[in-house]
Amino acid sequence: MQHLIQLLISGLAIGAIYGLIAMGFAVIYKSTGLVNFAQGEMTMITAYVAWTISTTISGNVFIVAFGAILAAIVLGLVIERVVMRPMLGEPVFATVMVTIGLAVILRSSINFIWDAYPHGLDLGVGRDIVRIGAIGVRTGQIAVITALLLLLAAVWAFFRYSKFGIAMRAVAADDRTALLMGISATRVHAIAWAASSVIAGIAGVFFAISYDLSPAMFQLGLKAFPATILGGLDAVLGSGLGGLLIGITENLAGGYLGSGMKEVAGFAMIIVVLMIRPFGIFGERDIERV
Amino acid sequence: MRSGDFKETYGELVVLTDSRQVWLWSLLLVAALIVAPYLLNSYALSFLTIILITVVGALGLNILTGYTGLISLGHVGFLVTGAYAYAVVVSKYGMPPVVGFLAAGIVPALASLVVGAPSLRLKGLYLAITTLAFSFIINTVILEARTLTNGARGISVQRPEILGVNFDSDAAFTHLCLGFAILTLFATLNIRRSRVGRAFVAIRDNDTAARVMGINLHAYKLFAFVTSAFITGIAGALYGIYLSFVSVEGFPFLLSIEALAILIVGGLGSALGAVLGTILIVLLPEATRLVFSLFSAQMDAMFSTGAQELKSMLYGLVIILFLRFQPRGLVGAWHDIRRLWVNWPLRY
Repeated sequence: MQHLIQLLISGLAIGAIYGLIAMGFAVIYKSTGLVNFAQGEMTMITAYVAWTISTTISGNVFIVAFGAILAAIVLGLVIERVVMRPMLGEPVFATVMVTIGLAVILRSSINFIWDAYPHGLDLGVGRDIVRIGAIGVRTGQIAVITALLLLLAAVWAFFRYSKFGIAMRAVAADDRTALLMGISATRVHAIAWAASSVIAGIAGVFFAISYDLSPAMFQLGLKAFPATILGGLDAVLGSGLGGLLIGITENLAGGYLGSGMKEVAGFAMIIVVLMIRPFGIFGERDIERV
Repeated sequence: MRSGDFKETYGELVVLTDSRQVWLWSLLLVAALIVAPYLLNSYALSFLTIILITVVGALGLNILTGYTGLISLGHVGFLVTGAYAYAVVVSKYGMPPVVGFLAAGIVPALASLVVGAPSLRLKGLYLAITTLAFSFIINTVILEARTLTNGARGISVQRPEILGVNFDSDAAFTHLCLGFAILTLFATLNIRRSRVGRAFVAIRDNDTAARVMGINLHAYKLFAFVTSAFITGIAGALYGIYLSFVSVEGFPFLLSIEALAILIVGGLGSALGAVLGTILIVLLPEATRLVFSLFSAQMDAMFSTGAQELKSMLYGLVIILFLRFQPRGLVGAWHDIRRLWVNWPLRY
């Protein structure tokens, strides 16, 4: 029983990280209609920037958090302006291939800017263990779950109440009509990329605090794919919750079926989801008019 | 200037080429490639072999991505499945290499049925995501199935002897790869001009219209995927023999990206493009290294330490730059040059 609860809690914690990255996928998909295959790499880069700040400037949590968020915003805006905007209006195939090219470039740039060895992001927080009954939980794990829930609420409120959130939904629903209504699609895209980069970056920093930084971190992006497929590619909140489900599934599979299953549980789930409910639990069914 | 290019039968319309000269030059090229292994040094020969093997794989992916317009991010999964199928059948169970090559095609084709059947019912990018998932799952499967695959230790593979002909020497092995490359080239060119190939292209250009014309989308997409996996598996077997050792590490994920880069650089949906793209992409890292080593020895050292990273960076850059500035690829550039040559000084 205790084993099960322990697995559930660590599953929720890693699931929250997947959920955050999956939200990043969904924000971009919802407003620009393309799957960003470089999401995991953006996560990784922000985490590395946070590490650099913590080792060179200051180890203070707030300074690192502020710097990392700023770096993530800049990264998202630069990618949108330099790489993605010139591809506006090109077929989906081409834009998606561009994100794949971008992913490879970002991934290998880690080895040139930083190095190939693993590092620990030690901010002096997040590694203490809190005891709830007989179960030990790391504060970092509690923090990442809280962060996911807070961001879910914030994103929900943003899309529901803010003017800009409504504009983004309008562009997602019908970009031509939105343009006719005077909404700047390019600005919506820029904000979406920046927001997605920040959400993914937060996940990266939390991962680095709880585990380690390494050039293999981009695989978080691959792990988050099942989450966003499960929740629905166009459902931001659903993707976040999908992450939690995937995290738990993965940990239960790892705990009871063997470590090999842990790696593939999420991917196996994609194939099952696509067979039963391809648009995800919370996604909208795509209806095509001819 | 050639004018009056009239076709009177359907046969003439879909013939491979109506020009005697193209046949002549192609035969000359094949003859040159047959002689080349005896003249080249082993360094240049290794590039020729790699190019020939990669052409087989690129043509396999071209059926799926180029003709049918579906993205696969996990073709390395079929490559590694093919290599392992060959290694298990030939090295472990001592069956003849011909059976090995058959297995190297059939096993990935079966795997592609499992992956393709659920994901190809859907439109869009779902295949990219499931194939990506597949390429990671298959590595775990191979590492776990120790009795069959030796797990992480890998299997060593000998150069084959087929029908009494020994392909042990480098030159002979290059000839074997050349044979496979030519076979694959003819196979894909003939698929393209058949009813099936036209269905593929129709699906790529407009799937709704294709469906209205009576093309069974699911069946044809699945057919494209299975054919593509079959050919890629054979390329995997050749690559395994070339490495003389089959292991999971020998087939990094970067190969999937390399294959897509080849198609984009060459020009999507063209067999000639796949060949041109392969030549450029295989030689690109080496050419870049040569150019940089002219400037300083330090650069040269960087290339040897971070070879893998530089390679992936180059592939990424090439993909982005070609999509942005030359979306039709090298084939498009070649057509432009040819038109300029024929029509000059007129624009059209």
